[in-house]
Order: sequence, then C-alpha cells, then structure tokens
Amino acid sequence: MKMRHRTTVKTVAVLATASLTIGLSGCASGPADGVTTLSFFQFKGEALEDFAQIISDFEAQNPDIRVVQNQVADSETAIRTLLVKDKTPDVITLNANGNFGRLAQAGVFYDFSDEPVLETINPAVQNILAELGNKTGEINGLGYVNNANGVIYNRAIFEEQGLDVPETWDEFIAVCDALQTAGIQPFYGTLADSWTGMPSWNALGAYPTQDGFFDEMREEGEDVGADSPVSFEKDFADVMAKQAQLFSYMQDGYRGRTYDDGNAAFANGEAAMLLQGIWALSPVKGINPDIDAAIFPYPAADDPADRLLVTGVDVVVTMARETPHREEALRFIDYLFEVGVIEEFAASQTMVPSVVGAEISDDPALQSVKPFFDSGQITGFIDHQVPPSIPLVAVVQQSLFDGDAAGALATLDSEWRKVAARTIPVTGEDQ
Amino acid sequence: MTSLTSAVRTSATGPSTKKRATRVRSSAARAMPAYYWMVWPAVIAFAAFHTIPVLVGIFFSFTNYAGYGEWNFVGMANYLALFKDDRVLQSYGFSFLFAIVATILTNAISLTIAMGLNAKIKARNFWRGVYFVPYVLAILVIGYVFQFLFSNSLPKILSGIPLFRDNILTNPDFAWTAIVGLAVWQACAFSIIIYLSGLQTIPSELYEAASLDGASSWRQFTSITFPLIGAFFTINVVLSLKGFLQVFDPIIALTNGGPGTSTESVTLLIFRGGFSGGEFAYQTANAVIFFIVITIVSLLQFRVLQRREADY
Repeated sequence: MKMRHRTTVKTVAVLATASLTIGLSGCASGPADGVTTLSFFQFKGEALEDFAQIISDFEAQNPDIRVVQNQVADSETAIRTLLVKDKTPDVITLNANGNFGRLAQAGVFYDFSDEPVLETINPAVQNILAELGNKTGEINGLGYVNNANGVIYNRAIFEEQGLDVPETWDEFIAVCDALQTAGIQPFYGTLADSWTGMPSWNALGAYPTQDGFFDEMREEGEDVGADSPVSFEKDFADVMAKQAQLFSYMQDGYRGRTYDDGNAAFANGEAAMLLQGIWALSPVKGINPDIDAAIFPYPAADDPADRLLVTGVDVVVTMARETPHREEALRFIDYLFEVGVIEEFAASQTMVPSVVGAEISDDPALQSVKPFFDSGQITGFIDHQVPPSIPLVAVVQQSLFDGDAAGALATLDSEWRKVAARTIPVTGEDQ
Repeated sequence: MTSLTSAVRTSATGPSTKKRATRVRSSAARAMPAYYWMVWPAVIAFAAFHTIPVLVGIFFSFTNYAGYGEWNFVGMANYLALFKDDRVLQSYGFSFLFAIVATILTNAISLTIAMGLNAKIKARNFWRGVYFVPYVLAILVIGYVFQFLFSNSLPKILSGIPLFRDNILTNPDFAWTAIVGLAVWQACAFSIIIYLSGLQTIPSELYEAASLDGASSWRQFTSITFPLIGAFFTINVVLSLKGFLQVFDPIIALTNGGPGTSTESVTLLIFRGGFSGGEFAYQTANAVIFFIVITIVSLLQFRVLQRREADY
C-alpha cells in the first residue's frame, strides 16, 4: 500500500514536471478555417487609424485574409527582439533609417527585385533606401511615403511682419532678428526631448557631407580624427556654430520643454518657426486645424540655388524573408501601393507618396516643398549614416546645453574610431 | 537582455541564500522524496529562464552577433575592446558613484525612520503605512511625477537657485543627484520594513537594563541597537548596493542617460548599445563582466559585514 501510494505521487510529480517542460516549448498553430492571418508590424502611432481603415477595406475585398495590426511604441527594439526570437512579422512597416539598412543588409527581409509593385515606385525614393543598405544584389524594402525636414514657419506671422522666406543664411538670421525686434518668439526649443536637436543638425550637416563624406569616414575607420582628411572635428565646426546660433533665438526655459509643448506653442502662434520636420504638422494641426504653416529648407548656403531639402523615407514597407503566407502578404502590399490608397494615406499623414502618378495633396506645407522634390534639390538624413552605437543624439543635445562644440565633435570622432575598431565584419556564410 | 540582467540579479543574490541556508541545517539525515519532486519544477523553470539564457549570452559574447543574421567567432575581441572604451569605463564610474551614495543615504535615512516608527509614537501604524507607499507605486509612474517636479515645479518654486531654475536634470554635473533623490526616496520604503522587523527582535529588557545602568540614548544605540540588528544591516546594505548598481528605471524616467551620456549606467548602456545600438555581442560581453563585478562586490561585502555582526 505504502509502495503504491508512493508510485502515484511519483507519477503525478513526473507528469507535472513534464507538462511544465512541454508548456515551455509549446507553440500554438493557427486554425485551418481557410482564413489566413497576417501579422502587420506597424511602427507609426499617428497612422494607427489610417492603417486600420486600409485594413478593413482590404479585408472587405479579400475575405480569405485577416490582417492584424500590431502598433508598437519602440519599433526598433521591438523588431530586433522579434528577429532574435525568429518571429519576424509577415508584413512590416519601419522608419527607413540606418537601422533599417543594417537589418536589410543582414538579409532578414524579402527580396522584392522581381515583384511588379517595385516598378510603380519613384526610383529616387528607392535610391535613398539603397543608400541605407540592402543585402547584396537584392531590394529589401519598398518606400511608401517621404517626409521633409525643413523649418516650419507660420505664414500668417511672416505676412504680418512683411517677411519673405529666407534664401540665404544671412537672410535667415535677419528674419530671426526682425521677429525678435517685433517681440515675436522666433523659434520654440524643446530640448527636454533630446532628439529634437537632431532635425536641425541633420539639415545643416547635409551641406558639408554631400561629396561622399561618410564613405571616406568609413574608409578611414580607426584613423578618423582632427588630422585625418575628413572628420567631424574638421568638417562640422561650421554646422555646430550655425546650430548654436539658431538655438540662441530660443525662448527662455527651452531646455525643459518637450516636443509636445513645442507643437502646442507653435499651433497657438506663440512662436513663428519650429526647427522640426513635416511630421510635426500633424500634431500641430490636431491642436489648431486652421494654422497656415509651410516649410522652407535650411538656407545654409550663400547661393539660393544651392539650398538642399533633407528628406527621408518615413515609412518603408517590407516583409519577412521566410513567411508561410507569401502570396497573401504580397496581395496586401500590392493593395497598399494602389494609387488611391497611397494618395489618401499620404494626404492624411502630410507626406509625399512614393508611387509615380500619385498626386501630392494641396496642403500648403507639401506644396511648399514640392519644387525641391521636382528639381532634385533633396538629400537624405545624415544621422542614418552614423552607427547607432554612437550616442549621437545625446552628444548633440549636450553641446547645445553647454556650448562645447569642439568637445562634442571630438567625442563623435573618438566614438567613430572605437566603433570602427571593435566592429568585426561577418565573413561568409560560415557559422 | 532583460533575462540576462535578471539572471545577473538572481545570481548575485545567490550567495545570500546559500549563506543563510547553511545556518539552519535540518537534523534529519535524508529528506522525503516528495520534497525533491517539489523542487524539480522550480529547477527546470529556473534553468530554462535563467541558466540557459545566461550560458547562451556568454557564448554569444565571443562572437560578432548583432542579435540577428549571421555571425562569426571573434575570440576575446569584445572583451579587449570593452577595456579600451571610455564610454564603458565612464558608465562603471557612474554606476559605482551612484550606488555608493544611494546606499549610504538609503540606509542612514531608513534606519533613522525605522527607529522613529519603532518608538511609541501616535498613530504608529498609520505612519508605517505612509512610509511603505513608495514601495507600492510603480517606479516609472513616480519617475514621471518626479520628472515633472524637476523640470516644471522646482524651476518655479526655487527660481532663486540657478541649479534648480535651469532644470537640474539638464545639468551634466548634477543630474545624477536628482536620480539619487528619486531612487533613495523609493528604496527607503523597503529598507525601513527590514529594519523595523530587525528592531522588533531586540528584547526590551536589554534597554531597561541599560537605562538602569545609566546608558545614554546614543550609547544604547551604538552598544545595543546597532550590533543586534547587524544581520539586517548586512542584508540591507548588500541588497541596496546590488540594486543600485543595476539602476535602470529611474534613469529612463528622469534623464534617459542624458544630458549627453553623463547619467548613463552600465545597465542602460548594455540595453541601449545591445538593442538600439545593434552591438548585441559586444554589450553581452559587457553584461558578463558586470555580472562578475557584482558577484565579487556582493561576496566582499558579506565577508566584511558579517564579521562584525553580533549575536546575543
């Protein structure tokens, strides 16, 4: 009796242990009711409703596909975590920055080279993506909508003060002085959010980096420094000085203000300009739908013809390399790139659509940047070329706080050297 | 990475449980088999969620794995690069400075408060409840409350002091003191509880005898109270220092490592560099080193502190 009792206990315990172990490795598989479920990784909080609308229209036309939108807050960390776990979502939207390029180079995304949807996209947009990186010989992302990073200005205030859009640096500073004299706050600074120092840095830094600056930086690698042919210390002193000059026109207490504070202040006419990209117009209009705002590129050149508008692929669409739902995912992607769908999305998000033939909405801000897109006076974000392990945002923010531009540039060069020294490229297929 | 840091945490508290366990040794020669079966599920879960991830992490610290895609072995290159990286060294400096200051403040303040709460004061249970509230609140929630306090309220209230007027969180030299303030405010709650339970183990006869002998309050504290709560002091200091060395959430809530990289702790650097920075293997090597450092520090503390614990 005692013996049998013992065995029962033992059996129960073994079963409990075993079920726990199985539970750990367990994995649910989908039901076989003929409907395919696609997981849609979506990084853009403000586009949640637009995509929900697109998805419900798509599902109405394709009853055999269900799309689940997963809107994530910290998309770059989230996608990396999913990749580490080998759980790449079926369809993915990401911001096309340096991280996207590195993920693409690692070969985790689908190759769209032979897909017909690629033919409909503006080649200039695909070029910006190609600069970020693809797996050799492949095309791993489709540009969806483009943003524009310039100075947002309140056209009503400019008109009232009789000011024109500045086309050279001296004119820009003259506009700031005129506004200040008239008792109007020229800019609204929001440095409590460290990244808000970056739009102006990117725009001003675009000028000295046009001739393959970052290619040379990568080539120099461990030798980057004040004495090397190109380096931050050598080529960026003017950028930092100009940025600091702009920040000297900020309101009192700009160090403690956040991005949202800035949008609210600009929307209510408390400042004439914002050093922000076109993405800020959406929240601004959420506060004041009637604001008359437009964008001009940072005129960091002496000749108006040399002005450059910084633009990035704000949303890139891609899919997992190995997905069991390839056909369905491609059908959804084709739908996303239909002219009517992308036009509506771009207009709602105040962005420039990538599909050839899709019209830019008649929003004054978009119309103000259209000439630069048409004439090709556009360039990419330079921070996408800086390895993410360099604390670029923090360094730029600190230099704006303490005014030590030389120290900041020295830090950037030293970080560049260290990253170059410790990055050992993956060789071949050998694991 | 979360599993790694928590693995580090668990391993670092390892010595404490081991030391305690040896003291209460069971008199029975062999335990019943049922006890073993009770332990097995926990062992398997622990191995699956802690030990194996740690070993996998250590393995990848010898590669150039970015967290995805292909990789090669690179030998000790990651470890060598760590010692040449001034950003890493700076983060160790920050973590230790922060941990030492916060540990001293937490233990001094919570011991004082615990003695007050142990005395016969009015509404004693109410005050005990009040001092426990910070422990119940989520650190990120109070973190954002403190952030508002530092960046909006204090600049107005203390507008006469330049340090606070310009938002102390944006001052590279003093932002860390604000983080210490938040961390200590929150950590005190738990330390107070431990000290309170320690104080209650001291028999009141000892104090009666001491007061009959004419010992002053200070003498009673140094000769009776402090020696007799030595074990509680040890566990509090070790746990606080270990916890503060791994500081993460208060920094995220207050400064996010800024301004610049002046408040970047080791854990924040591991998380940032490993995930946003795409240097998974390199920062895993950093995590391995950090794990070793914390283990050594904790062991040293136990040796030093336990030597002067008193029993009665």
